[in-house]
Amino acid sequence: MLVLSGSTFPIQEWSELNYDALGAELKKLRENVAGVTDTVIAASDGIPILADVAKNVDPAHISALAASGLGIARQTTEVVGLGSLGQTVVFGSEGYMAVYAIGRLSLMVVLGDKGLNLGRLLHESRPVIERVGAILAA
Amino acid sequence: MRIVGNAGGLFHLRDGLVIAVDSPGSPGADTLLLSSGLIGEEDWAAALIESVETRSLQAALVARGVTPARVQDVTAAAVLDGAFAVAAGEIERHSVDESVEHPLLPASTAVAPDVLLVETASRLDALASLPFPLSPYRDRVVAVHGAEPATAEQREIVEHATGRRNARDIAFALGLGLHSVTVEISRMLADGLLEIAPPTTSFSFSHWGLTSLHPRAPREVEC
Repeated sequence: MLVLSGSTFPIQEWSELNYDALGAELKKLRENVAGVTDTVIAASDGIPILADVAKNVDPAHISALAASGLGIARQTTEVVGLGSLGQTVVFGSEGYMAVYAIGRLSLMVVLGDKGLNLGRLLHESRPVIERVGAILAA
Repeated sequence: MRIVGNAGGLFHLRDGLVIAVDSPGSPGADTLLLSSGLIGEEDWAAALIESVETRSLQAALVARGVTPARVQDVTAAAVLDGAFAVAAGEIERHSVDESVEHPLLPASTAVAPDVLLVETASRLDALASLPFPLSPYRDRVVAVHGAEPATAEQREIVEHATGRRNARDIAFALGLGLHSVTVEISRMLADGLLEIAPPTTSFSFSHWGLTSLHPRAPREVEC
């Protein structure tokens, strides 16, 4: 297995991810949903792929936390019988962290401030997840 | 009445009068109260717990030393600011229902819709007539290097003007009303303290050269 950037994911060497297309999706999400502050796309083992974050946000830390949280949530849905996992949302007094599974191989993290339009995020994120999944799979 | 859009919002009406406006575009009465220092976080949390049973957050706040007049001021300001936040953004559709979703902190003095409409239109007009009219959602601002803010509020705005934030984001970061922050930013843009951030600052993408998540095709690897 080829190991790249410390990832244990099997990596295809000959094709490049379309970062521009991924970036356009993250940009659209931040523009269309009030309160979204930062976004990260990561592999589900916690290795960041693309990030649009403020200087004080470390994409590596966020990706690792998101991956572990998503893993626990996924196992919870299986053990408790809640169907398939769609997302997890952490509610803090000063903001939110939403994590979306993109298939089995990747995830998307959305950070928001305390005024985040969570309802709109849940609505807008669905097509974004679809498109990001397609770009990653291309 | 629910306004779907960006930022969108929820107008709470009682007997035909607006008693609260919740919008992701403007800090609510809770944020305004906390950031003003009228009540501390611990007292706020205790008031919230108490209000679950008494159904009156206002009474719980007054019991903790916030005068009814201050609660009235803040809740009334939040209604006006919420209406401005909804009107300044994109509106896709609206719906009216008879839900009994109670606002967290209703205004002590309800506002007639036509009064709210006139006030909101006046705020939008005033913003449009400023030397540097800006969208509280679309325009992201960054401090001009070497700028010397004149007031404490301007200093705080400069500190938060990273280029990634718009007026709405800064209003939430400071816990101040959207309208007042938007107007102040507009003035600061005109005075050369702030500028509209370039797209590369507003959206700063970084990646680490990961190529693809495809499983690697079987091939010979020399070890």
